[in-house]
Parts: sequence; structure tokens; C-alpha cells
Amino acid sequence: MAHILPSRDAAEEILQEVFARLWSESPSLSQEGRSVVAWLVVTAREAAVDRLRALRKTAASAGPQGHSASAGKGSDHGTRKSKAAALAPSAAKSLDGKPEAMKFRPADGARAPATDPVPLAWLPQPKEITLIDSRLVLLHKAINQLPKPQRQALELAVFGGLSESEIAAEMGEPLGKVRTSLRAAVTFVKHRRQAVCGTWTANI
Amino acid sequence: MDCQHLDEVYELWWLGALSEKGSLDLREHLARGCPHCLARVRDAAETVYILGLSSKPARPHPRVKSELLRQISRKAAPHR
Repeated sequence: MAHILPSRDAAEEILQEVFARLWSESPSLSQEGRSVVAWLVVTAREAAVDRLRALRKTAASAGPQGHSASAGKGSDHGTRKSKAAALAPSAAKSLDGKPEAMKFRPADGARAPATDPVPLAWLPQPKEITLIDSRLVLLHKAINQLPKPQRQALELAVFGGLSESEIAAEMGEPLGKVRTSLRAAVTFVKHRRQAVCGTWTANI
Repeated sequence: MDCQHLDEVYELWWLGALSEKGSLDLREHLARGCPHCLARVRDAAETVYILGLSSKPARPHPRVKSELLRQISRKAAPHR
């Protein structure tokens, strides 16, 4: 979250909200046999990205000068965070700072509010997360092996909360090229995970 | 919906990186219970977990923990 949001205070506020949600969600997670850590990581990223989008929307409505000044860290120019946070995508999601209905769903700036929450059963089980955690250093090294344009596009999606079209605008690349880069990047990470964790299955 | 071409989009759906139409189409397809896609979307959550942890960790201020414990105590109190 600290990597996504422009200030430490904002990250800590979201952190607190997410753990308070966990208090409510933990019986359901336990009942479904799903990983608490996976829920935390996915939900924390989602909540931080939602807040970032809300900050961008506020900055955009405040005027053109407000974009990078209020939605990104001014002192971080040139870093990945400031590059992502300084954007003001047109599809930014409205968020009033309140967590919505304590339900789990992936971040999506373009998702319709009426969309059902994502079932907890779609999250990994604790044994799967334990296996991943034991190989995490190796897996993160694999991410660093991605070609720079692919890694940059992936970081803008993961930590910048941007959609494919917003990433294309940010990188100044055609949408088709960005789509291809993103798909190649996630496929690379997925295949590395399956190989490193020994869970590879042929897709016949 | 032909499922094969979706094999590269589940992670992007979790990340919220798809277009509005792409995201809603996939969500509706999943809601219909396609076993191929449900297995893939679960698998994709593992990759998203790895990606979510790929930044440098930051330690929160200790007051965050104490404030959180206060909040939880207030929530738990009526049930005691």
C-alpha cells in the first residue's frame, strides 16, 4: 500500500480499514478454507488502488495543476510510484473514503457497482500460499527478468491501478502493444510460478 | 464466449486492468459457472498474490496497530 499511495498516512489509514474488514470477514474465510494472507494482500491492494483512483479524481476535478501535486508525491519524481500516482485517468473510480459493504471484490475502476462481490472461494487455499511464500524470493527475481516495457506496464497495472488503455496513454504506446505486453508479462509470471512451485499442468 | 482466448486475461481482471466491457463480460461468464474459467481465475489469484507482494515492504507506525486493536475491541465488546 505504501508503494501505491502518495502518503504514508493514507497507506496506514487503508491498512487499518483492511484489518478491520478482516475482523468481519475471518469467519467466512475460515469456513471457505481460504488463505487469510491472500485475502489481505489482494484486498489491501484493491483498497489502496481504489483510494488512489479517488485521489486522482479529486485532483482532476480540482483542475489541471492539481493532478500530480495532490495525487502523487512531489518529491518522488522519476520513481515508479510518482509516475503512477501523478496520472489522472478519465475512468477513475469514485470513492468517498468508506470501505464498501465489507465485501471482497477485485479492484476495477470500470466495474459496475451492481456487480456481485467475488466469492471468497476464488481465493487460494493456505497450503497454496505456503508453497508460494517458500519460493517468493525466486518468483520476485523472475519478475525482475521481464523486459523493461513489460515490467513497466505490469507495475502501472499492479501499483498504479491503471487499466490497459490508461497504461497505453501513460506510456505513449498503442493500446494493442500494451495489451500484448501485459498479457506476455502475466503469462511469464504465471508460468514461472507454476514451474517454481511444481504446479505446472499442460493446457491441452 | 470462447474460453481459450481468456487464458491471458484472468490476472488482468483481478487487477482491474481490463476495459469495462471486458471486465463485465468475464464476470458474467464466471457467474454462469464455467468450470474451465473458474479454475483459471482461482489460479490467477495466486499470480496476483505474488505481484501484490513484489514491492518493497514498509513498516507501519506502531500507533496503527494500537488504534486497530482499539477499533476491534469496540466491535467485539457487544458480543462478550
